[in-house]
Amino acid sequence: MAAGALHRSIRTIQLHGGSNDSASTKEFGNSSLKFISKGFAVDVKFLSNRSRSFSHCKMHVIRAISSHASVVDPIWSTSHVTTNFNQNTSIESSLILIRHGESMWNEKNLFTGSVDVPLTKRGIEEAIEAGERISSIPVNMIYTSALIRAQMTAMLAMTQHRQKKIPIIMHDESIQAKEWSQIFSEETIQQSIPVITAWQLNERMYGKLQGLNKEETVVKYGKEKVHEWRRSFDSPPPNGESLEMCSQRAVAYFKENIEPQLQNGRNIMVAAHGNSLRSIIMYLEKLTSLEVTNLELSTGVPLLYIYKHGEFLKRGSPVGPTEYGVYAYTRNLALYRQKLDEMVQ
Amino acid sequence: MATSVFHQPPGTAQPHQHFQNSGFRHEFGHASVKLTFKGFKVETGLSRRGGYSSCKRKFGVIQASASHTSVVQPVSYPPNNSTDELRKKSSEAALILIRHGESLWNEKNLFTGCVDVPLTKKGVEEAIEAGKRISNIPVDMIYTSALIRAQMTAMLAMTQHRRKKVPIILHNESEQAREWSQIFSEDTKKQSIPVVTAWQLNERMYGELQGLNKQETADRFGKEKVHEWRRSYDIPPPNGESLEMCAERAVAYFKDHIEPQLLSGKNVMIAAHGNSLRSIIMYLDKLTSQEVINLELSTGIPMLYIFKGGKFIRRGSPAGPTEAGVYAYTRSLALYRQKLDDMLH
Repeated sequence: MAAGALHRSIRTIQLHGGSNDSASTKEFGNSSLKFISKGFAVDVKFLSNRSRSFSHCKMHVIRAISSHASVVDPIWSTSHVTTNFNQNTSIESSLILIRHGESMWNEKNLFTGSVDVPLTKRGIEEAIEAGERISSIPVNMIYTSALIRAQMTAMLAMTQHRQKKIPIIMHDESIQAKEWSQIFSEETIQQSIPVITAWQLNERMYGKLQGLNKEETVVKYGKEKVHEWRRSFDSPPPNGESLEMCSQRAVAYFKENIEPQLQNGRNIMVAAHGNSLRSIIMYLEKLTSLEVTNLELSTGVPLLYIYKHGEFLKRGSPVGPTEYGVYAYTRNLALYRQKLDEMVQ
Repeated sequence: MATSVFHQPPGTAQPHQHFQNSGFRHEFGHASVKLTFKGFKVETGLSRRGGYSSCKRKFGVIQASASHTSVVQPVSYPPNNSTDELRKKSSEAALILIRHGESLWNEKNLFTGCVDVPLTKKGVEEAIEAGKRISNIPVDMIYTSALIRAQMTAMLAMTQHRRKKVPIILHNESEQAREWSQIFSEDTKKQSIPVVTAWQLNERMYGELQGLNKQETADRFGKEKVHEWRRSYDIPPPNGESLEMCAERAVAYFKDHIEPQLLSGKNVMIAAHGNSLRSIIMYLDKLTSQEVINLELSTGIPMLYIFKGGKFIRRGSPAGPTEAGVYAYTRSLALYRQKLDDMLH
């Protein structure tokens, strides 16, 4: 029954690889298997990019699972799945952007930039709140900057997530780091959300202003200069980055690493900083440099975008669990939420 | 009020008087400037180690504050070798060890090892509780492992610290990382607690058991083998570390990097893992391999050691703020707490 269909589906994957597009891939990544059996979801992921060479392992996993998972009822038959392969239909993925909350230098009113300062109690609460707001939106991968305040924001937010998958931070700073962080259970890998840290998502580097308070800086450099560095697009502080320079490396990273994941139907969360996120939003919404300098992102309030047909649709901020609102931004998200509700009962 | 105040005109060197009050050095680092005026403190820490090479400037600061703050009566003397030796003998430093709380794989009962798994909500709470217990104990430097659960534990704990200094994570992974994290204000640096991350403090690497649950492991390898790997001193799991191997690299790191800090009077906090901390305790308490196997560290409960005269004196766990207890472990710590009370009221 189910196992048979699974076997056929598996062979389909092996033949057609990962690069496909059908509605079913939204939660489950590349593979075109969808199991919406009540209460049980088999997650099949091929991480085709970069560091995770899990693809071979995953093949074995699928076979292993098919042999003992009799609870799974595939809703789509394999024939349905194969015909969808060549249609660029409704692949859709969600993109969540979260700006971290209050850091200890925010509290003291010091220019932070790329100095690695942690969150305050308030920043911690903001992260947890943000997590509550996105607790019903699927997340397959997480990207953060190299700074602890963004990483903590992501990890704290995910403690609130209903799906119960576990973020695992990827380490490839050395061969030993890679070896030492290996996981040896396929089931566990499937229940994992890879977390990638990237300096390209760091806050704009503020050069010689880092650590100074606003008065000190004005005294040292003059009010106008400081205002210019803070609010212009292309004027960097001494030894620092302009917003333009920050955008360059942040958007390049987004296009090369994150967008392909979205194209493959993966749902992504990016936890980063005011300027790196503004830069990305400038790209997503095609803003001018003037518009972006006037864009302010609230801290700790997640922003949702739906990626569909190669375009980014802005969906504002997911409502908190106690707030009224039209929850479902798309049909797929509504179905996902429903599955979560069923799983929990 | 308990503290005695030296009313000396600025610039007068009083080396011998200083040593009688060595207790204070412990909050204020090397410089022997002691300012105990109620409600106001000038922090002077001369760090000979690490990145902050601002000794000369610090003296400049002292003189500057002396000239325009009539509330402050500094006692200062130029540093020289003989005073260093005398200082060593009477100096005392606090060492706090904190084992992180529940991680998402602990909750699922999976072998974690060096896989970088974050904390659960409970683990977050444990960290905050631990922070309350050490909120009155001075911390000049923090060492953590390279894993987020230990780093988060440290950062969460420090949000509770009364001294309000800001932990700053040091970045050494590349030239750019170093440059980008530079701080350009001396005042700010003085209010900073450097945080050093080190893989040598990581949890014991569990090799091919990482990610497996206890059942899977027993099935795959046999119950007795697994028991042996978990409980012996020198038998490693396949491709993993034995407790002995973990101890080797953890204790070596402690001796090379952390002990010198303690020797120079710096108060250190270490946030790490069950096995790396057991290894260090084995060294501090001079335990045998049999004794260390039987040593269990509670999660999230900080342990205090006083380093004095080259020896580690075990002081158990600091009482929580609501618990009655003999708070002061040493006279210096009592004075430090009192200063905090004065500062904050």
